[in-house]
Amino acid sequence: MTTAILICPGRGTYNQGELGTLARTFPDPALLDAFDAARAAKGEDTLSDLDSAAHFCAAKHARGDNASGLIFAAGYGDAQSIADDIEIVAVTGNSMGWYTTLACGGAVRAEDGFDIATTMGRKMHDDGAGGQILYPHMSKTWEPDAQVKADLLALVDEIGARAGCRLSLSIDLGGTLVLAGDDTGLAAFAAAVPQKDGFPMRLPGHAGFHSPLVTPVSEEALGHFSPALLRQPRLPLIDGSGQIWWPHAADLNALWQYTFGDQVTQPYDFTRAITVAAREFAPDLFIITGPGTTLGSSVAQSLIAANWRGMACKSDFQKRQAEHPLLIAMGRDDQRRYIAKEQ
Amino acid sequence: MDRAAIVEANFRRRVGEGDLPSVSPGSGLTPEEAVSIFRAQVLSRVLDLESRAMQAAGEGFYTIGSSGHEGMAAVAHALRCTDPAFLHYRDAAFQIARAGQVPGQSIAWDLLLSFACSSEDPISGGRHKVLGSKALNIPPQTSTVASHLPKAVGAAYGIAAARRQAPEHETWPRDAIAVCSFGDASANHSTAQGAFNTAQWVSFQSIPLPLLFICEDNGIGISTKTPKNWITATFSARPGLKYFACDGRNIYETHAVSHAAAHYVRRYRKPAFLHLRTVRLYGHAGADVATAYLPTAEIEADEEQDPLIVSAALLDASGVLPRAAAMEIYDQTRARVSRAAAEVITRPRLKNAQEVMASLIPPPRRDMPFNGATPAQRAAVFGEELKMQKEPQPMSRLINWALHDLMLDYHEIMLMGEDVGRKGGVYGITQKLAKRFGPDRIIDTLLDEQSILGFGIGLAHNGFLPIPEIQFLAYLHNAEDQLRGEAATLPFFSRGQYTNPMVVRIAGLGYQKGFGGHFHNDNSVAVLRDIPGLILACPSNGADAVGMLRECVRLAREEQRLVVFLEPIALYPMRDLAPGDRVWMQTYPAPGTRISFGEIGQSGDGTDLAIISFASGFYLSRQAQADLGAGIRVIDLRWLNPLPLEAMIEAVRPCQRILVVDETRRTGGISETVMTALAEAGQHATRLAAEDSFIATGPAYGATMPSWKSILTAARRLLV
Repeated sequence: MTTAILICPGRGTYNQGELGTLARTFPDPALLDAFDAARAAKGEDTLSDLDSAAHFCAAKHARGDNASGLIFAAGYGDAQSIADDIEIVAVTGNSMGWYTTLACGGAVRAEDGFDIATTMGRKMHDDGAGGQILYPHMSKTWEPDAQVKADLLALVDEIGARAGCRLSLSIDLGGTLVLAGDDTGLAAFAAAVPQKDGFPMRLPGHAGFHSPLVTPVSEEALGHFSPALLRQPRLPLIDGSGQIWWPHAADLNALWQYTFGDQVTQPYDFTRAITVAAREFAPDLFIITGPGTTLGSSVAQSLIAANWRGMACKSDFQKRQAEHPLLIAMGRDDQRRYIAKEQ
Repeated sequence: MDRAAIVEANFRRRVGEGDLPSVSPGSGLTPEEAVSIFRAQVLSRVLDLESRAMQAAGEGFYTIGSSGHEGMAAVAHALRCTDPAFLHYRDAAFQIARAGQVPGQSIAWDLLLSFACSSEDPISGGRHKVLGSKALNIPPQTSTVASHLPKAVGAAYGIAAARRQAPEHETWPRDAIAVCSFGDASANHSTAQGAFNTAQWVSFQSIPLPLLFICEDNGIGISTKTPKNWITATFSARPGLKYFACDGRNIYETHAVSHAAAHYVRRYRKPAFLHLRTVRLYGHAGADVATAYLPTAEIEADEEQDPLIVSAALLDASGVLPRAAAMEIYDQTRARVSRAAAEVITRPRLKNAQEVMASLIPPPRRDMPFNGATPAQRAAVFGEELKMQKEPQPMSRLINWALHDLMLDYHEIMLMGEDVGRKGGVYGITQKLAKRFGPDRIIDTLLDEQSILGFGIGLAHNGFLPIPEIQFLAYLHNAEDQLRGEAATLPFFSRGQYTNPMVVRIAGLGYQKGFGGHFHNDNSVAVLRDIPGLILACPSNGADAVGMLRECVRLAREEQRLVVFLEPIALYPMRDLAPGDRVWMQTYPAPGTRISFGEIGQSGDGTDLAIISFASGFYLSRQAQADLGAGIRVIDLRWLNPLPLEAMIEAVRPCQRILVVDETRRTGGISETVMTALAEAGQHATRLAAEDSFIATGPAYGATMPSWKSILTAARRLLV
């Protein structure tokens, strides 16, 4: 049986090109109805309405609760769409993809996962301070340079320590650093590094996720969500610190504390999560659920950084991918058909 | 059939069919904790099996396993991941369980890398299969039997000592406890017995020593059985060492008793002995066939006790995990480890000597900048002796002052040894230090050189800069493995992640007039010269001793080096080169001055003859030089390992003749290397070395070694 790691994407992956995703791919109409009903009951746009809109409207679709709901549903739906002859050996995700991971791995019911994702998205939209900025540390050929990365992180630390500046690592995202900070901190970083190919890039509508800037959101979440929502996962879950939460062995109180505590306020190490996934589970495939395809490069870069199967640069990855695909993005129809159930 | 296969088949059959031992439900662990421990046990077992498969395929190189000792997972669960653990080589389950306490670990991958001897093995870099991890506070241990116990005592001492005097590079939390595990056979080793005794000796005096010994008693050491109840009988009633015992096959009981033992140690800062009864499955190692020396019935009886089956039974009986789920965990673990192993064997291995040797020398360490003690601080410590420092003094006093200044400058320095405190050393080298710096920093130890060096190694682990003293060179030999097998190998087996920098002071060499014979005049340093990475310094006069000792401390502090400072006893009181000339006394070198590592000394610049020597040989050669005239130069090697060969060859290059004067033995002595180096450099030399003999007591004390007269004779013969 083919083994695979399931990877759930985070914010920013549902855009113009993803309109209609749920209508095309969501495998469980009853569950989608339940998601819609839950939102309608709160007076929110339903996922079906958002997904079927004629045009992508950033103000609407990218707003925290809407984007999170769409991304969660697309990811969870894709996880249910994988063919039965593929054995998912562990699940991981990036950033808000952790909430999808919890649901895909069985640690929360789908409806509860959906509620967590959308509620956290809304709280981030309403109360999240600061913003995020992207900056690559790998070259265009994706060759890792530990010194470049270390120098950038040292710069982040230095700026973050300045009076009146807030800046810290938000996500270690393969070949890119996502930084969280206030306007002063983000501006100081942008002024201190060379501009290249549109980077540093500010992420519109994002708060300073995974940093102390959103501590109030974490505190609200810990008060809002009960540990009773969580249950033993069916599959191993790999979190944003590289920790594996094993079936039958997960301390649910600790999992709750992590999910709404450190996961929210501390850097999310997606690179480490992918490294742990590769090394501890050695799967045949890394399957990235939808929506979108943008997480693929980060997964590939993480594998390259770990020198997985000897891959040391982008061309190594492309060569291997062409010969025998290692990474499947379900947001791409040409790759999705390899692993999705026949409809 | 391979016993490992039989044990696995038994597990599958018995768990699959429900043929489980009758057990009572466990308590004291949450269901998740119990399953977490079981998972660690399963992974440990599966890795053992995989290591054998890898070896059979020519891809793995180590098969001493942890099977039967999986109860150590429950011990780990009862401890904190910040408690330093000096582990028995059968403790994979401990390391796996601890890895579960620290986010981001890839423990299966890491252990597979170690089986494959991959250069990517995060602890040893492919140099040896060791358990160990920097992130998990598990310093790697060698396989030398029980040799890690003395340093565990030192580490525990260092944890407690940091509360009184925190070193700059303190490693472990103040409320940590040191943990040290070993087998029942190893417990009989004199090194282990010395460590137990030292721990008791410390504890008996109510000196804090938070140390948990864990004896994993599987009842046999390779083929020799431990007498029944031997461990209980010999350890259950020792003074100063509280005894705990549990059935290591029962994770609930093991966790509860381990927790109680750890709590006792942590709370009362006293050592405890945890007796964990285990079984050994599949013989000592892959190549060891237990059926060659044990009746099959006994082997099968042990296999009946398989702790993995007991754990499955306990989890089932406790309503925590149905046996089908236990089997599913086993099968899934087997599959994923097999997949990971297939990847691991493609990872690189060490290819050449350069790569192997890359971690012989530890990396430098950044210390807080410090300008030295102020004049006022020095005046407060030295008092009237400051005036004496302007007058020529013998080596013994100058070393004493150098130690004062070093201790004044660096609060992390601690001295330890026999009679170093109250008495101030057999030769007075450490006089007044205890009074001036207190008993926390100057420790009168018990009579056990292994323990003295163990104190040093363990204290260095926690950031102290130990200066242990071995009272006489001949006393080093019963303890030298602590330097050879432990201290020197630590950076090597840990890619420099763990270090134990220190300066070991040893009084030695010959020429004490009529005193002591061999045991106080040992002239063999061979044992210190073939230890990779160890620096051996040996001064010939007081001023050099001060400069070199300061450099030794710098090497330890800044470069994390293991240094031995060999003090020639006969030169301690030396005053004159010629009768009454006071040439061999010097004024105290100004604080801050040093003699650099590898820098040689030279007297005279004649080119007729170069004499190469060190220590008393240098002193005697200087005497001969006075009679031989201006055509002579005398070279003091100063550094005996590594020898400063390039500087030496350069210094003698202009000379027409070369004489090597060596007070160590002809065989294995310094001159062997010196002569070889000169020959390889195309320079002919003659040597005068000590005979291959022990030193006699009485009038013949110097008969076997070079003398002023024999040097003079040899030199004149060359000059003819």
